[in-house]
Amino acid sequence: MALLQIEQLTKQFGVNKALDSINLEIGQGEVHSLVGENGAGKSTLIKMLSGVYPPTSGTLFWKGNEVSFESPKDSKDIGINVIHQDRQLVSYFTGLENLYLNNPYPKKKMGLGIDWKAMYKAAQRLQDKWGMDIPLDIPVSKMTPSERTLLEILRAMMSDSNLLILDEPTASLTDKESELLFSFIERLKDQGVAIVYISHRLEEVIRLSDRVTVLTGGKLMATIERSQLTKENLIRYMTGGKEIKSTRLPKMQEHQEVLLQAKELRSVDGSIKNVNFELRKGEILGIYGLAGSGRTECMEAIYGLRKIADGEIYFKNELRSKPTPGSSIKQGIVLIPENRHEDALIMDNTIMENMTLPILSKLTKNGVMQKKSELSLVQKEMARFKVKAVNVNQPVSELSGGNQQKVVFAKALMSNPLVYICDEPTQAVDIMTRADIHLFLKEQASEGKGVIFVSSDLHEILEISDRIIIFSEGETVAELVNDNLNPNDILDICYLNQKEAVQG
Amino acid sequence: MNANVETYKKTINFNKNMISSYGTIFAGIAIILIFSLLSPGSFATLDNLINITRQISFLVIIAIGATLVMSVKEFDLSIGAMASLGGVVAAKSAASGLPLFLCILIPVIAGFLIGLINGAIITRFKVLSFVTTLAMGTIIGGFTFWFTGGATIFENIPASFKFIGQTNLGGIPLLSVIMFLIVISFWYVMSQTVLGRRFYAIGGNERASQVSGINIGKYKNIAFALSGMLAALTGALLASRLGSAHPTGGDGFFLNAYAAVFLGMTVVRSGVSNVIGTLFGAAIIGIMANGLTILEIPTFMQNVITGIIIIAALIIQKLGRDS
Ligand SMILES: Nc1ncnc2c1ncn2[C@@H]1O[C@H](COP(=O)(O)OP(=O)(O)OP(=O)(O)O)[C@@H](O)[C@H]1O
Ligand SMILES: [Mg+2]
Repeated sequence: MALLQIEQLTKQFGVNKALDSINLEIGQGEVHSLVGENGAGKSTLIKMLSGVYPPTSGTLFWKGNEVSFESPKDSKDIGINVIHQDRQLVSYFTGLENLYLNNPYPKKKMGLGIDWKAMYKAAQRLQDKWGMDIPLDIPVSKMTPSERTLLEILRAMMSDSNLLILDEPTASLTDKESELLFSFIERLKDQGVAIVYISHRLEEVIRLSDRVTVLTGGKLMATIERSQLTKENLIRYMTGGKEIKSTRLPKMQEHQEVLLQAKELRSVDGSIKNVNFELRKGEILGIYGLAGSGRTECMEAIYGLRKIADGEIYFKNELRSKPTPGSSIKQGIVLIPENRHEDALIMDNTIMENMTLPILSKLTKNGVMQKKSELSLVQKEMARFKVKAVNVNQPVSELSGGNQQKVVFAKALMSNPLVYICDEPTQAVDIMTRADIHLFLKEQASEGKGVIFVSSDLHEILEISDRIIIFSEGETVAELVNDNLNPNDILDICYLNQKEAVQG
Repeated sequence: MNANVETYKKTINFNKNMISSYGTIFAGIAIILIFSLLSPGSFATLDNLINITRQISFLVIIAIGATLVMSVKEFDLSIGAMASLGGVVAAKSAASGLPLFLCILIPVIAGFLIGLINGAIITRFKVLSFVTTLAMGTIIGGFTFWFTGGATIFENIPASFKFIGQTNLGGIPLLSVIMFLIVISFWYVMSQTVLGRRFYAIGGNERASQVSGINIGKYKNIAFALSGMLAALTGALLASRLGSAHPTGGDGFFLNAYAAVFLGMTVVRSGVSNVIGTLFGAAIIGIMANGLTILEIPTFMQNVITGIIIIAALIIQKLGRDS
């Protein structure tokens, strides 16, 4: 008997069917992946399995018995644990407080107050058991995206699962952390826990899954058995037979003029200590580093979001003494931030209000908004990246994760910049959009612009970069021309430097 | 059968949405109907309607300032004291023989500058606006007391000073006209201009607005300065209406102003402070006061009833939105 059986499940938002009559079975100890384009309905399905949304129609059977969830608590009580695509943490609580958020607090003797020591000990034991090392005493707001993901995973381990659902868990993880996650999945699977896994990274889907279900436009296209699992097969089902183009554009000539340069950069907070690099016209500069290497912090410092203690930044050979985001945008430098919820989007505002925010002054006459030109501009960019939405006035909170990321990307293009600083720009987007974004950046580079491309996905870095800068412990430690490099070359450098740093 | 259930569900949803977005408006209409039934001869008359617009003009103007500050997710709790100061400065200016436009302009500029100081402290040192403006209110109150010696200013005020407060233009009080002009201007600014967009962006997500190149400090300063200015203007207009100014004469506006803003957040742009909503909120509070006074309900009872109505409107709206 299946652990979970889904029958004719449908979810309607207004006039749109996000999911249409889905039938699916999840077996005990099975790793079942869900793939499909952005807005296909994957997260919506998960939210109904975990009691976040009630289904519009359809039935769920748990071990053969019909169940319906009034709230997330109901589904957690029968052993369904979920890591949602939008991380569900309280950002001003510490890691420890977040771990116990929906688990009972250990009480002191006679129930007087919370036993913090016992809490801490139990949490550390769990960390040891799963080989994790998250700092539990700092608030979540100070944690990196990957630490946040790991914290959520740890929290899911706090109570026993029968079914663990992971919605794009590797979106901000480096390879090393992903490996850690995969080993958890193997261990849980051996214990008979069923896993539902969502990801746009097809390699890991193929590696982990027993079966894969492809969703398209809210409909179930196919459920593929392990023996039939190939990347080509998956893409064929996802795109309805279309090929994904991977275009090589002619490179610009070497030794182009330098657009942006960082010299011995050090930040006030010490997150970056000694950063040196050059970005030339017409190139895509890949930036890689393990978690905590300071790559995001460095991009923020260059853009003007982080105070610089000493060192220099030159833009077109001119010193930028006190960069601010405003001056960056004016000069033609734009940042696509890593954290879309906190740094990029105003969730309750509309797609249009979000996209034009950096260029409002260009869309005005005497301070009055020119709504017609704003509308046509936004519609053009939405069409370019195929943002799936009802209209430009839909709040971004109602978009799927990948479509939110498309809005973030499109927003950055609005100011028509000279330098793109992209921090994980393809997170959460489907492989078709990923190819579109890569192509777009390559085109921009071939037009003489400069692109900095930060990614925790080493394969992606190798796929797109002309040169690669490696960060370790807040410093730039190596610069490589991307010519027949393989992932281990880069990882070796990272680990070597990390070891040296530890040994002092 | 199934189709029936679906349509039925849709009707329910429709009604709930109606309640959430228009709950406050329904409440307003209900209040008007009730008063009209209870005292048809004196409440539901054109004269009284015009009267109400004049009575609420002070509250509306000061509450619009609070609306602006709330749109960037800050509080300005010094507006009550600021209004008192504005009234006193206006009355003193009048008593010393200054022309009318200066009697209004001087407090308005003072309010603007003190608002800027509020903003500068809050944005420069990143301190909580709630506490900072509360303290600023105390400072202003102390200053006003020193300035007046604690006494009402009414001597030597020329009749010309009362022009703004007591003139009627073809039956419409000048105060009401000023109020509508201010409402329309700030509605326009908040909904049609870059300034309004930036205010709401900051209120929606300050960090993302900063990343998008918006100078957060600058726009918060503008919001606080405008709030201070409108509060001082309210005080000056009140002094002109009364022909006198008491050192704590404007303090009472502070709570009602925020009540109006919060009521207003339940209409139009749901969950966000907005000018038209604030006008509605102030109107409900004003209509309550007017109607209850006509019914000769004592003031303490008026307060109780008004408070209950505000809480009820908020709950109805919340219930509508959650489902
Ligand atoms: N609260 C909501 N209100 C209205 N529409 C919604 C809401 N949540 C989701 N949708 C719509 O439902 C559809 C499916 O969204 P869902 O988040 O399930 O996609 P997804 O497959 O998870 O995509 P992604 O890969 O981008 O995360 C989308 O078109 C989305 O806009
Ligand atoms: Mg999703």
